[in-house]
Amino acid sequence: MSVAVAEKLVSKESHSQSKSLWNHAWESLVSDKIALISMVIVSIYAIVAILTVTGVIAADWSQEVGASYEAPSAAHIFGTDIFGRSVLLKTIKGTEVAMSVGFVTAIVAVVIGVALGGVAGYFGGKVDDFIVWFYTMFSSIPNIMLLVAITFIMGRGLVAVYMALGLTTWVNLCRLIRAEVIRHKEREYVQAATAIGGGHSRKMIKHILPNVFHIVIIQFSLLFQTAIKSEVILSYLGLGVQGRPSWGTMIDDAKLELARGVWWQLAAASLAMFVVVLAFNLLGDALRDALDPKLKGKS
Amino acid sequence: MGKLKVFGKLTLVASMLVSFAACTKKQNLDEKVLNLVVASEVKGMDPIYANDLYSSNEVARVYEGLLEYEYLKRPYTLAPNLAESMPEVSADGLTYTFKIKAGVFFQDDKAFPNGKGRELVAEDFVYSIKRLADPKLQGLGWWMIDGKIAGLNEWRDKYSKEDVVDYSETIEGLKALDRYTLQFKLSKPFPQFLYSLAMPFTFAVAKEVVEFYGKEFLNHPVGTGPFVLPVFTQEKRLTYTKNPTFRKKTFPSEHSEEFASIAKENAGKDLPLVEKLVVNIMKEDQPRWLNFQKGNLDFISIPKDNFDSAVTPDNGLADTLAKKGISLLISPQLDVTYVAFNHDMDLFKNKKLRQAMALAYDSKTSNKLFYNNTAMSAQSIVPPGIAGNMPNYVSPFRERDLEKAKSLLAEAGFADGKGLPEITYDCPNSTVSRQQGEFFMKNMADIGIKVKVIQNTWPELQKKIDKRQVQMWGIAWGADYPDAENFLQLLYGPNRSPGANGSGFNNPQFNELFKKASLMQDTPERTAIYEKLNRMASEEVPIIYGVHRQKYTMKHGWLKNYVSTDFDAGQAMYLDVDLTKKAEDLDKL
Repeated sequence: MSVAVAEKLVSKESHSQSKSLWNHAWESLVSDKIALISMVIVSIYAIVAILTVTGVIAADWSQEVGASYEAPSAAHIFGTDIFGRSVLLKTIKGTEVAMSVGFVTAIVAVVIGVALGGVAGYFGGKVDDFIVWFYTMFSSIPNIMLLVAITFIMGRGLVAVYMALGLTTWVNLCRLIRAEVIRHKEREYVQAATAIGGGHSRKMIKHILPNVFHIVIIQFSLLFQTAIKSEVILSYLGLGVQGRPSWGTMIDDAKLELARGVWWQLAAASLAMFVVVLAFNLLGDALRDALDPKLKGKS
Repeated sequence: MGKLKVFGKLTLVASMLVSFAACTKKQNLDEKVLNLVVASEVKGMDPIYANDLYSSNEVARVYEGLLEYEYLKRPYTLAPNLAESMPEVSADGLTYTFKIKAGVFFQDDKAFPNGKGRELVAEDFVYSIKRLADPKLQGLGWWMIDGKIAGLNEWRDKYSKEDVVDYSETIEGLKALDRYTLQFKLSKPFPQFLYSLAMPFTFAVAKEVVEFYGKEFLNHPVGTGPFVLPVFTQEKRLTYTKNPTFRKKTFPSEHSEEFASIAKENAGKDLPLVEKLVVNIMKEDQPRWLNFQKGNLDFISIPKDNFDSAVTPDNGLADTLAKKGISLLISPQLDVTYVAFNHDMDLFKNKKLRQAMALAYDSKTSNKLFYNNTAMSAQSIVPPGIAGNMPNYVSPFRERDLEKAKSLLAEAGFADGKGLPEITYDCPNSTVSRQQGEFFMKNMADIGIKVKVIQNTWPELQKKIDKRQVQMWGIAWGADYPDAENFLQLLYGPNRSPGANGSGFNNPQFNELFKKASLMQDTPERTAIYEKLNRMASEEVPIIYGVHRQKYTMKHGWLKNYVSTDFDAGQAMYLDVDLTKKAEDLDKL
């Protein structure tokens, strides 16, 4: 029984004392109107993407709804494309590709970046030298060339896009994590962990990682939007997603259609991309403001 | 509407910026330069590998053959080029003896002693044709002479197993009798033989050059032709200059009535007529269109998306363009577009499946979307204008009929597409090719067949077809010579890849009949067999036919002597540029 009382006491105490970093960040995030709106927009895109994947909406995007190249009207808000398909539905279906590319790519980049960055920063010495050499060399290859090379090797398709973008965008995060881990590994709490016999992996994952995780979150949102933009560029170049609507292929179509005055496909795809990329950028800023301890107290 | 206007303003600003930029870069009007465009990458400059339109046209600027087509004569007629005259043919039609022009020199190149090109001799043709037959080189034009020249197949077979191919061995059917006399002995009648001597595959190369450059020969063309290209590189622009040691060749006087004025105006002029030739490689429609508008290209075929703004409903040219001195030429093309099956796959041995897919393909809409309704729906493989085409024939598998397609698909064992794997469709990587692929995908989806579109560069696609790494692909065939045989051979079993039969269709009945026709001279009986073959080619659905296209060409007023042709290899030497008119017209653009 006495145990229960003590627990209650502790919880009461902590509640009245101070909030955790995460609680704090969340509060400052929701109090920022722009961040809130950005979050709502990103969530809407995510929901739309999930709904198209499951086929709840835009499942019939490939159906003809009218003649070829119908101008926007009340019936078709963004008009129709060359085959008479609704541009609106194609744009919505394109969200699926954009969001999945953004998400998977960001995950791939985070896994590589955090793992390499963490190991380099933590162990230092030869390991660090090697990893620094590796990413320096890697980042000296122009990104778009690397992307093209990877898609040529892996063939065309969604998986190739995931991998190509994931493999080309991790360097920045790796660098940041490495620097942050170097700072943390000499701190008292890590020394304390060493003192009580914590192994390397325990110190790295259990102790250091949570303390550098805010960087991952900020970078994640920035990687996400970079990936969306890159997917559009790849698809525009004919190296991206094949056989399903993507904003990039829509813009690729539009470059011909503009000659006959058909602007709506370009408008729809660009607008969709513009809104989500802007939302992610603003969200990334807000996350940094909320999570980065160095910025605390500054406005 | 509001948006439209804003956009209009934006494009106006953009186009003003573009035109300002254009003003700053003045065109060179001191010398005659032809500015041409190719719509695809060029594979290389070796005649024996020039099996596509783009490469063979480039090869033909530098290299020459025994024969060529009369530039100003229709129907198409062969004329001697490096041959002194048309050959003497023996009574049995099997021996052809050519006299070769004396005083023809290869272009100067460091592969020759002192860098001076040497004289062309009959032996060069013997060497060049042996090269085409060389089993180690795997020339892509071998199908054309396979089994036709006495002793050549034996030579090829003999050395296919050995490490080194011996070119010095004499072949009975391919001999240089003296310095300027060349004799062919055919092993069986080959009525299209002379046509094959006008194709880039058989053009003359020099042994010294081939040996000097080795593998790099592909990039170092040295021929006897009117233009010189020092080095070929995979760039966006190829610049040829006039060959200073080109023999005296004058503008042809033979002509059809319709071209009388061109023949008269140019009578006696030395070829080529221009100093320089710039070939731009532009895969996409819009850069071609915009560069033509700016006067950077002398002629182009009209892109589909600019068609409505360029051509009036009664097939005239829009006023805005006519005012700039631009003119329009419309001419039917000897070609056929198609979607091919890879018959190596067991799946496509199922005839009912092929028929079902053909019936699901909407050729009418495709004609509207991609050819502005100017093309002609292809009922079978032979285009109109040559014997073997049946003008009133309607293929039972041409008009879209979804009900029938679905029931055929069920009979094939794949009701509603169940049990069918996802089928890949390969195409070149331009936007229009992709749209065509998507259109095919959409048509097939209507009967439940899943198709995936894969885009490739042109050389990559050709390689994949040669190596049989494709399932279905969209492509076209343009005539090499005006004979239905050239189209029907696409389906002849023994011609399979790397021959011209990329699909690998192999039907014993068809092969038998084709073999028979290929030995016959141009007679009504042969036409009857051609028609029978053509009908089989339709009913068996070895490939899904698309359209026979029409060429809509726009040219600037300063380009002289342009004549639409199906065999444009070598055309550039006849073209001329009127510099005064160009200066005037450029101001109007």
